[in-house]
Amino acid sequence: MDITQVAAEGLRREFRVTYGADEIEAEITRRLEEIRRTARIPGFRPGRVPLRLLRARYGQAVLGEVVQKAVEESARRVVEEHELRPALRPRVEITAFEEGRDLELRVDLEVLPEVPEVALGEIELVRHVAEPDEERVQGSLRNLAAARRTFEPVDRPAETGDRVTITFTGTVGGEPFEGGSGEKVQVVLGEGRLLPGFEEALVGRRAGEAFRAEVVVPEDHPREELRGRTVVFEGTVEEVAAPREPAIDDQLAKTYGYENLVELEKAVRERLREEFRRRARERMKRQLLDWLAEHVRFEVPQGMVDLEFRTIWEQLEREMQQSGTDFEKLGRSREEMEAEYRAIAERRVRLGLILAEIGRRHGVEVTGQELQQAMMREAQRYPGREREVLEFFRRNPPALEQLRAPIFEDKVVDLIFELARVREETVTPEELFREEDEEEPGGAAAVAEETAAATGAGAEAEARREGEGGAAAPGRTGEGG
Amino acid sequence: MIDPRYYDIIVRPIVTEKSTLAAEQNRVVFEVRKDATKPEIKKAVEAIFGVKVEKVNTLIVKGKKKYFRGKPGRRSDWKKAYVKLAEGYSIDVTSGI
Repeated sequence: MDITQVAAEGLRREFRVTYGADEIEAEITRRLEEIRRTARIPGFRPGRVPLRLLRARYGQAVLGEVVQKAVEESARRVVEEHELRPALRPRVEITAFEEGRDLELRVDLEVLPEVPEVALGEIELVRHVAEPDEERVQGSLRNLAAARRTFEPVDRPAETGDRVTITFTGTVGGEPFEGGSGEKVQVVLGEGRLLPGFEEALVGRRAGEAFRAEVVVPEDHPREELRGRTVVFEGTVEEVAAPREPAIDDQLAKTYGYENLVELEKAVRERLREEFRRRARERMKRQLLDWLAEHVRFEVPQGMVDLEFRTIWEQLEREMQQSGTDFEKLGRSREEMEAEYRAIAERRVRLGLILAEIGRRHGVEVTGQELQQAMMREAQRYPGREREVLEFFRRNPPALEQLRAPIFEDKVVDLIFELARVREETVTPEELFREEDEEEPGGAAAVAEETAAATGAGAEAEARREGEGGAAAPGRTGEGG
Repeated sequence: MIDPRYYDIIVRPIVTEKSTLAAEQNRVVFEVRKDATKPEIKKAVEAIFGVKVEKVNTLIVKGKKKYFRGKPGRRSDWKKAYVKLAEGYSIDVTSGI
């Protein structure tokens, strides 16, 4: 076998790998000898079959096998011999092959860039600190009270906020339709759970009264066949009940399991604080990522960017399809969007590589225990099916590996927060939650930003664990649940 | 064009350990029609494979006695021919006719 580098340009490397005809031939003979020991051919005892006969019978299949093996081996050997760190699985292509002739392969790959060392102590970040204000605390308490709201039947016309119990039949063009009728359905007026126009027909009705509502189904209704049609609902109001909100007092606190109102208020305050801290961390992380993307310059492997781009682009297309919009409705051209998403993909890959590198330099590792915890958290997201989820992870190690990426990212980010120069700044809650989107190209993109770095870092971390020779496969396999 | 009758004479080549051994002495083994004569076999092999035949030995392989549903039966007898090729000629029986 002979490996020659034919091109090296930026991060791209191209090699020509040649296997001599004699090497191929020797390998085929070796394989045939192996088969010979066990092959059962009528007229011969196992192990006594002449090679000539085996070659005639299995030669083609063995040849294919040998070539396949050469293709697999070539990429590994190239990486080993040139001590490369491939960004993605190398592409191997057969450029020339004929029986009895040399086998020529082209191995194409991109190497991981040298990520320059980041002086973490030079990073300046601002941690926004906010204290929950009285108004917010009281607002939360009011919400808690509202959740414990009770309804009492009253004999008066229904008002907004009342709970009415109705029995009704819905028809389209005189025909009842699937899911259009209900018996003793409870509706809280003003919550907008019914089709627009339906609630209005209920307001002012007393218990026992009949009602009739003509409603035009809006165009964005999930059921396509109903869109734009006129639906008539007819029925009776069975009961009108007025809401009764419990007072914010010790009694309310007890229903939530607290000793008294003071304790409840303390807990609420603490929860808000926790929320603020999370938010502050998010914003700080944002600053950090922006800082890193701007200050740490290096060439990014195009293959990884392409892969990332395809992933988020497909996601975008799926979302657009689901919500029924297209480029025109968004007022953007496809080219414009593609360029935008490509930039996002590159940023993600870049950040992923940087975080992975920083993590590696500082020996950040995700422990099995942390992974277990993440698995448990994941399982809790599917109440009642926890066992299934755990079983899924047990049988799909790659899916478990996917959980590793975000944990790794979080740990690296926390590490940087410790080492960076962090300045605290007191702000009001309003300021804390103000969106700082002047530098973010699109709304959808902003949401997706966080996981971005995670996948990148994960793929990289995974590649490292696979060992030196292993090609860095992207960490996206399988699905949860 | 080879006379199709020749294909009737040669039924199939025999590929076994024993026939492989015979090949070392430049002999090829065939199953032939039971009523084929040595000169016929010689002509047929020469015509079909384009080789020169030195001599032909034949033998009748007796069919085995077998029982089928408790009743005794017998497999058909068949004729086997060892064909000695002239020096310098060979037939690759593994590639089929």
